[in-house]
Amino acid sequence: MRLNDELRDRLAAEYALGTLRGRARERLRRWLRDDAALARAVAAWEARLAPMADAVAPASPPAGMWRRIENRLEPAKKQSWWKVLGLVASGAAAALVAVALLLPLQRAGIPPSYVAVLSDPQTNQPVLIASAQRNAMVLHVDTLDPKIHVAGRSLELWALPSGAQPKSLGVLAGGRSELKLLAVADRSLGDVTRLAISLEPPGGSPTGQPTGPVLYTGPCVKYW
Amino acid sequence: MAPPAQALDQLLARSALGDRRAFGELYQATAAKLFGVALRILRREDWAEEVLQECYVSVWRHAREYRAARAAPMTWMTSIVRNRCLDWLRRPNPEPLADEALEALESDAAGPLALLESGRDSAALARCLRGLEAKQRQAIALAFFDGLSHDELAQHLRQPLGTVKTWVRRGLARLRSCLETQ
Repeated sequence: MRLNDELRDRLAAEYALGTLRGRARERLRRWLRDDAALARAVAAWEARLAPMADAVAPASPPAGMWRRIENRLEPAKKQSWWKVLGLVASGAAAALVAVALLLPLQRAGIPPSYVAVLSDPQTNQPVLIASAQRNAMVLHVDTLDPKIHVAGRSLELWALPSGAQPKSLGVLAGGRSELKLLAVADRSLGDVTRLAISLEPPGGSPTGQPTGPVLYTGPCVKYW
Repeated sequence: MAPPAQALDQLLARSALGDRRAFGELYQATAAKLFGVALRILRREDWAEEVLQECYVSVWRHAREYRAARAAPMTWMTSIVRNRCLDWLRRPNPEPLADEALEALESDAAGPLALLESGRDSAALARCLRGLEAKQRQAIALAFFDGLSHDELAQHLRQPLGTVKTWVRRGLARLRSCLETQ
């Protein structure tokens, strides 16, 4: 169903306030999955009304509450964060996209040795492609979706080698750009299975490890 | 004292990576406020405890989906709690808000609004809420703080359903245009 802007805003407001109930509420939740403008309108209304929650008197939950919550969390897997990310995107699908996109990526007639396609886990849409020649010290970055950039924050690209800490590949510029690798691609990407993008303070992570949420991720494949 | 949004942001990000200690800190920093919100809407400690537990488990599971660019961490978590409370109130086995409970609500729900002026972010909203007609403000406050539906608002305010719907709708529209000029 298509909503006009006025109706969309009105429904978003009533949903955020809480007066939209019953079937109308369920219906709006279903629409939220496909209607990005509606999701933005709801988020905007939630932000407008949020300060009202500051006016509610805080109340201490009972002492045993945290223990009960902790017992209900999934058993602590030995979670390396690249494994967490592995759950996010379907590697096979992304690799297919990578092959489909290889052709336009051929620079100077030689196909890239390493290709990574990063996608949005919520939509499965690819947002960025990184590629490198095996003997080059440069990573080519093509931003497919310029909307991934957020005003006032930086996006940082990370290499996730199997069994080791993430390594920063640098802060992303927009559009088509290049990042300098510390060593030739065969050495810097040889053992890397995935790349990921995290949201960081301007200029990138102050700690050398991701500090903000991981927004996009995808497999890094070696072709030759 | 509310923790700075950026600290919560980082705790959420670390929780998304499976860091339980960070999640514990997030709980410590936010539980009292969120429990207050749930208690206010549900008005029963046992319900509020149940809902709050579910909400934290849900935050843990969905922390990866949190996008700092789209909402402040506290706004995101508060919305999860408020939505879960409203869902709880309309379970198939409702213990409908008894008449006495409705009567017991402050007849002028402006009470908590006075507190709003202390917060920096809240000042603009408080100013705009004060600019509404009293009945619009009251209807919006009862809906937000106490989780009243249109039907319950009509019953509580002793007005026809259509009338309170109009108050809410016009109140929200005025609120929005006022906030845009702040």
